[in-house]
Amino acid sequence: MTDTVQAGRRKFFDLARPSRQHLLGYILIAPAVLMVAAIIVWPLILAIDLSFQQVKIPRLGGASRPFSLSNYTWLFSSQEFWLACWVTLKLVVVVTAGSVAVGLSTALLVNNRFKGRTAARLGMALPWAVPEIIAVVIFAWMFDTSFGLFGWLAIQLGFADQMIPWVSSSTAAFWAVAITMVWKGFPFVSIMCLAGLQSIPSDYYAAAKVDGASVFQRFRWITMPLLMPVLGVTLVLTLLWVFRDFSIIKVLTGGGPLRSTQTLSIMTYDQAFQYHNFGRAAAVGVLTLVICIIASLLMLGRRSKSIY
Amino acid sequence: MRRTFAQSLALYATVIFTLVMILFPVYWLIVTALSTTNELYRLPPTFWPTEPQWDIFARVWAAKPILMWLWNSMLAAVGSVALSMLVSVSAGYALSRYSMRGGATMGLFVLTAKMLPATLLVIPLFSIFSSFGLIGSLWTLVLAHSTMIIPFATWMLKGYFDTIPKELEQAAMVDGCSPLGAMVRVVLPIATPGLAATALYAFVLSWADYAYARTFLVNSPDNWTANLGITTMQGEYVTYWNDISAASVFVALPIIAIYLFLERYLVGGLTAGAEK
Repeated sequence: MTDTVQAGRRKFFDLARPSRQHLLGYILIAPAVLMVAAIIVWPLILAIDLSFQQVKIPRLGGASRPFSLSNYTWLFSSQEFWLACWVTLKLVVVVTAGSVAVGLSTALLVNNRFKGRTAARLGMALPWAVPEIIAVVIFAWMFDTSFGLFGWLAIQLGFADQMIPWVSSSTAAFWAVAITMVWKGFPFVSIMCLAGLQSIPSDYYAAAKVDGASVFQRFRWITMPLLMPVLGVTLVLTLLWVFRDFSIIKVLTGGGPLRSTQTLSIMTYDQAFQYHNFGRAAAVGVLTLVICIIASLLMLGRRSKSIY
Repeated sequence: MRRTFAQSLALYATVIFTLVMILFPVYWLIVTALSTTNELYRLPPTFWPTEPQWDIFARVWAAKPILMWLWNSMLAAVGSVALSMLVSVSAGYALSRYSMRGGATMGLFVLTAKMLPATLLVIPLFSIFSSFGLIGSLWTLVLAHSTMIIPFATWMLKGYFDTIPKELEQAAMVDGCSPLGAMVRVVLPIATPGLAATALYAFVLSWADYAYARTFLVNSPDNWTANLGITTMQGEYVTYWNDISAASVFVALPIIAIYLFLERYLVGGLTAGAEK
């Protein structure tokens, strides 16, 4: 009698039994779920909760303030928020377009067969490996108002008749940020496009050539359609990166002058850690997240799964 | 495809021109480090210093605690990668091998986590860490960087495990291996390149962080990471561009070295998500 009970119990914990296999799956995934719950989901819930409270500096476990929409009403009626939305939109469009243009053309270039193309590929995507802060150091010096290379170059090339005030002019500061971000952002597009290009079978091109298709036609009707899925995902990932980037703008311009480079990310951070309005900051952050989710769902549609 | 001589020439010229344009900022960083102050504050700019100041690297190394900054970055990166890999490997394996309720939800969650702005997450994390008295400690970075690494690492590893045939484990189990033993002794050794790629990419992610380090560690200089240390060298009124450039070379070098020598793994990690 006892023997059978023990045998039964042993079998109950026998994870090799097919009916117990699921149990092992849940055991293996449990640590990750717990970690994610503790460091992502819980903080996210706290942030959403915070955005509905009028709170300056929150203390965990302190009495929570009454539910209030004041952070959101303040946001929607403040000029600062709409300006930040506009700056973010401009930057996202300019940097994404720039990165895709440079990334795609460099990928097409090194997709050719030539001697030393392995080295060329490494070199083309090298900015990817330069940490953002270091990229900012380089560009901050090149955009220096008195002795920067870019100002001098602009004069030499006839674009300007004196050094450009990169720090104090709104337009110039915006372009300084955009150029830095494109330099840092295009290698990702390039790497992804190159991987996409290499997965296109060369038979397609050979067949098209037999049919008399020109270089342009081959690009338009073979390369583009087959590259589209990769390019779409890359575009969204680049867009999300610009949307959420903090370090490049913060260190290069700090969001200034006159908030002309203050994106939603910078506004979120400054509201919290400069003006100590944690409730408002959380509201901006939550809205940023919502915009990111809506934008990428709209852009990817049913293919949104491929972004994983 | 045969090219004419003119076509080859045009191709090489375009490649070289593009490379020069793209790599120029990196060259400029080195030139700036090697120039004297006089050469820096002069127009037209000096494209190669008359007397390269090679000792700048030794001087900056001695003047600033660069080794300590690098060490802190290293600790934060190794800590967060180790912690994340520990939970992500088993979770990725489970998602790949067992059909579980909520598997699809997990995918949706990874998607959302990828969109989560660090500037939003840093707000609640700041209150959580301060109530646990963690502000100023490197543990904040280990946990905060894990929020970036775990979602993507889990999904990337699931992809790698999917490419390893199930029959291998089944054969091991027929021979008397336990399911866990089959995972540890059979699947993980085969997945080593995938694990390495994921860990490497995660390391680069952690090394690049500035937002979290700035928020949690700004008042504890002993725990400053490399990125945070560099930004403190940027003065409000005067910046010594040759010093900060030389220090930047030290900070950028580890990642550039990883990139140049282990590019295959890194690129594998980058493109793994998109090609499915």
